[in-house]
Amino acid sequence: MKKKFKLIDLDCANCAAKMEEAIKKLDGVTDASVSFMTQKLMIEADDAVFDEVLKQAAECISKVEPDCKIDM
Amino acid sequence: MERFTKKQKKELKRIIIAFVLFVILLIAEHTGVFPEEGGGMWLLLALYLIPYFIAGYDVVRKCFIGIKNRQLFDESFLMTVATVGAFGCREFGEACAVMLFYQVGEFFQDYAVNKSRGSIAELIDMAPEYANREAEGGEIEVIDPDDIEIGDILVIKPGEKVPTDGTVIEGEGLINTSALTGESMPRPVSAGEQVISGCINGDALLRVRAEKEFDDCTVSQILELVEDASSRKSVTENFITRFARVYTPAVVIAAVILALIPPLISGNFTAEFGKWVLRACTFLVISCPCALVISVPLAFFGGIGAASSKGVLVKGSNYLELLANLHTVVSDKTGTLTEGKFKVSYIEAANGYSTEEVIRLAAAVEAGSTHPIAKAIVDACDDPVSPNKVKDEITVAGKGVKAKVGRHEIIVGNHSFLKGEGVAFDNEDSLLHGNVAGTMIYVAQNGKYIGIIVVSDMLKSGAKSAIADMIQAGVKRFVMLTGDSESVSSLIASELGISEYRAELLPQDKVHAVEEIIGEAGGSSVAFIGDGINDAPVLSRADVGIAMGSLGSDAAIEAADIVIMDDDLAKIPEVMKVAAKTLGISRQNIVFALFVKFACLILGAIGIANMWIAVFADVGVAVLCILNSMRMLVRK
Repeated sequence: MKKKFKLIDLDCANCAAKMEEAIKKLDGVTDASVSFMTQKLMIEADDAVFDEVLKQAAECISKVEPDCKIDM
Repeated sequence: MERFTKKQKKELKRIIIAFVLFVILLIAEHTGVFPEEGGGMWLLLALYLIPYFIAGYDVVRKCFIGIKNRQLFDESFLMTVATVGAFGCREFGEACAVMLFYQVGEFFQDYAVNKSRGSIAELIDMAPEYANREAEGGEIEVIDPDDIEIGDILVIKPGEKVPTDGTVIEGEGLINTSALTGESMPRPVSAGEQVISGCINGDALLRVRAEKEFDDCTVSQILELVEDASSRKSVTENFITRFARVYTPAVVIAAVILALIPPLISGNFTAEFGKWVLRACTFLVISCPCALVISVPLAFFGGIGAASSKGVLVKGSNYLELLANLHTVVSDKTGTLTEGKFKVSYIEAANGYSTEEVIRLAAAVEAGSTHPIAKAIVDACDDPVSPNKVKDEITVAGKGVKAKVGRHEIIVGNHSFLKGEGVAFDNEDSLLHGNVAGTMIYVAQNGKYIGIIVVSDMLKSGAKSAIADMIQAGVKRFVMLTGDSESVSSLIASELGISEYRAELLPQDKVHAVEEIIGEAGGSSVAFIGDGINDAPVLSRADVGIAMGSLGSDAAIEAADIVIMDDDLAKIPEVMKVAAKTLGISRQNIVFALFVKFACLILGAIGIANMWIAVFADVGVAVLCILNSMRMLVRK
């Protein structure tokens, strides 16, 4: 399943790159991209674990940039 | 002056308050209000901490959160360490200034990025904001485009945007496709014809049946593609990302070395330490590659937006990069360089007959046929013979048609067909021999040759100049591929100024030809121009597949890397220029930023540049790079 989300308060381009790398490394994730320019997050992961992946992705994001959130 | 967001206004207030306090303290310090000994220094420190925290509390906060989350090479961490280091060395003013300037830099960056995002959104402003839905009883309800359902009757008033793809059920007028194609040439529409979302209605009221929901309509597709395009990173952007990952740790390590080694070497550690720590802190301040990490993707994003406003969809930043270095272009002929429609291009009558007669008789005979050549002949006739005068039609597939028109026996077909029917040609030399590109249709009346009609696939107007422009823009080799005959292809090639072509190719031959050409290109990029439907395999094989998108053809948008919404070949050299500008700006930014940063590092290490100057330079560089990237957004 491939889904796109809007990110709120993504202020740092470096952080976007770090988040992208961290999310790509999560179990079950086939592909991910964070675009600083469009403030969008794209995650491609197995349907079965998608919700879990999304939760972990949210954690990765707040670790890198505490104020940034996924718009669910 | 653009309005600031609420967040930005708050930030600006903080910076101004901190700045004012800072300046007051600075003046106070330098006019000797605070004595060096005893409590004076601690008081000064405490006072300086006020503007420091007003300006930078969030930075310090992020630093500690970062430490907790083990994010060490974080901007906030480095800035905090640098400023604390400065405080530790009794350079209170400097520490405060550094934090202030850093925040000013962040503020500018934020402002510029937001402004760019807004400008790009404006460039691609094609989304409709509302739709007028007609209910059963005829009343009109204003709804959100997302609520449109297939089958809804939508009313589009003069000047309004078409909210979704659909068919006109009532109304006749002109629509403006400029939001999608970049051209403001109006297109006529009438009942039964398709309209595409995003177009602006002219003066007539249109009633349209919605064929797609808003999420699936052309505008949504395009907007999504443009958004996704910035995720397909260019080689340059990937380089910057890898560079940034290496640069920051490298500078930090260099800072540590700078803080420790020189004092150790000097033999007088404690005395020298302070000085070198300060210089090391300068390093930390320059260690953020923000200028590059923001400005390069911004330039590419702007490039994609600029292309889109010209009606060219570029599906990835990497394609923009490939376009800028295009050496070889391979193009399909029919439908790409030519209109793909047959038209009568030339009529010649034999002695004693008129061209009008020739075309009338031929059209009468061909009237019943659906063959494109027959249609072309029928279209060319302004004064048709009435159908009940035409009898006894006999069609021989691939050769011609004969019929009785009135009292006359008319034969229309190719040379061998007429010869086979016993037609006498008075003077074979007068017949055109390959001087006009096209299919030659001969007409005979009662066994005698009376004229020739040449039916051609017309060249797209502007094709020749587009090719010339491409060559001027840097293309070294232009090859035309076609399944059409050698003779026709040769004529078309010379008319268009193309020196290389391959004719009579079967579809699979085209793929092989492109592969050969890619091999010969030796690393420089090869583009293929075709229409999306028939050329899909070739489009995907080429480095850059360019499809003439014919406004909304899903197949074209799918198969290609770049889609030209309105089939205008002239857009290709135009988008090549956009690509060149984008790459140029990225390169300028990279060279400029790296040069200034390294200069500051060296000057900082020597001790000529102190932290103020370093931060100033860093901030200045970032702001200048971002402003430079914003040049991509200038609407021509």
